Amino acid sequence: MNYSMVKTLVLKDWYFQRQAILLAFAGGAVSLGIVCIGGQAAFTIGLILLVTVMVMISAMTVMGNVLGERENQTLAFAMTLPISYVEYTASKILGNLLIFVPFWLTMLVGSLAVILISPAIHGFFAFAIIMAVEILVSTCLMLVVALVSESKGWSITAMVTGNLALNVVGYLVAHLPGIKEGLFGTQIYWTSTATISLAIEFALIALLIGGALHIQSRKRDFI
Amino acid sequence: MSALSVQFKAVNKKYPHFALEDIDLELPVGSIMGFIGANGAGKSTTIRILMGLVHQDHGSVQVLGHSMPSDQAAAKLEIGFVSEDMRLYGPATLAWHMDFLRPIYPGWDQRYADKLVQRFDLKPQQKIKGLSHGQRVKAALLLALARRPRLLVLDEPTTGLDPVARHEVLQELMAVLADEDRTILFSSHNTLDVEQISDQITFIDRGRIIDSDNKEAFLDRWRRLRLVLPPDGSIPRLPGVVEVGGSSRLPVLTTNRFEPAMLSACSDLGATVQAVDTMTLEEIFVANVHCRRERLTA
Repeated sequence: MNYSMVKTLVLKDWYFQRQAILLAFAGGAVSLGIVCIGGQAAFTIGLILLVTVMVMISAMTVMGNVLGERENQTLAFAMTLPISYVEYTASKILGNLLIFVPFWLTMLVGSLAVILISPAIHGFFAFAIIMAVEILVSTCLMLVVALVSESKGWSITAMVTGNLALNVVGYLVAHLPGIKEGLFGTQIYWTSTATISLAIEFALIALLIGGALHIQSRKRDFI
Repeated sequence: MSALSVQFKAVNKKYPHFALEDIDLELPVGSIMGFIGANGAGKSTTIRILMGLVHQDHGSVQVLGHSMPSDQAAAKLEIGFVSEDMRLYGPATLAWHMDFLRPIYPGWDQRYADKLVQRFDLKPQQKIKGLSHGQRVKAALLLALARRPRLLVLDEPTTGLDPVARHEVLQELMAVLADEDRTILFSSHNTLDVEQISDQITFIDRGRIIDSDNKEAFLDRWRRLRLVLPPDGSIPRLPGVVEVGGSSRLPVLTTNRFEPAMLSACSDLGATVQAVDTMTLEEIFVANVHCRRERLTA
């Protein structure tokens, strides 16, 4: 693996997505600010806005960095650089995750901080982490589908599926024994169910990324 | 035997509605090959295989001593590529592109890049999306040339350019030709451009290479003979006749194996040679394609 070239391509993607990154951080800060106002209405509105900003930034970066490169015919330029297609794929996965994860992590830490300073919602602690990682899974799903399918249609389908899955997973996790008992409590409630849920989500992320690299390494036509 | 920059051996690539078949191609170091074919003939597919962007189903491809596609990253370090359907990053400037490529290519020649900026009348701080088509092609060519590549691959770079821009691009390519170690593959369906800069010509049609030779040999061996036959005279059997036109009394023969001795052979058979026309590369290409297609449908 030519790490120097992968790094160059990641920095290039960062450069082209710098406005989206700034926009996301601004949107995230506003969302957390609304949550901090206090009260159930502000909490709900802020949370919905935060999830929307997260979904928006993941969609913007995938559409811009992955599908945009093909649509704008700049993929041919990128592929004339001294790289293999697997290195190109690795740069896209890494580039998108390095754009999304710092924002995601900041928002997760911010959300947890809000939960921790409000004893009334301490019970949400485990649920918030599981759902935040679920958003990361959805982002990886869309990224991987965009890379492998090279199709806007399939990528949008993956985005919609990811968003629907967010609701389904949210409902299921909230009703899981080991989660539901402590969800509305005033204590942080962490059980093995929470640990297993997180492990499943991270395994899914690893499976998606590994699968994408495997499929891309077997592709025969890139342009 | 001279060293080869590019060597295709029995390369095949099959798509649902198109196939490249048994492509054998050799580019000696320092040669300039014009790769001519109609739209959809297989030029771009061949070039994409050369660049490692498309993997061949069968056959071997060696580029600058590297096996493709497995060793494409190392090969591409020494290749400059400009394609008609390749775009630079619209929101970035030409200066950004130069800064982006400079650390990647050890041979990057900034002084030459600056010289090309002047010669092509480009503005480094202008965003690519604000450039005209001609300026974009020149910018892409600049970025390919400043790498000082050992192999320059140009896939229809002059398509869509106005005559002035085309002239400037071709002039710069001719200047590049001064370097004897640099090999150029120039694909186009515009035979005039190819004729100006190439010393080797290869014709491709419907996924097959139909002829390949040096340019002078092509121009020397292709002729159109205008004959006048006596009443009841028959058309003389001449070698390499690929097309017979005109009328029964005034036939026009196109041959790809012309020799001056043919003229006396015609006279011996009672035919009068009214004229021997040289052919342009375009006429040669069209005659070659028609001949092959007729042979296939016969």
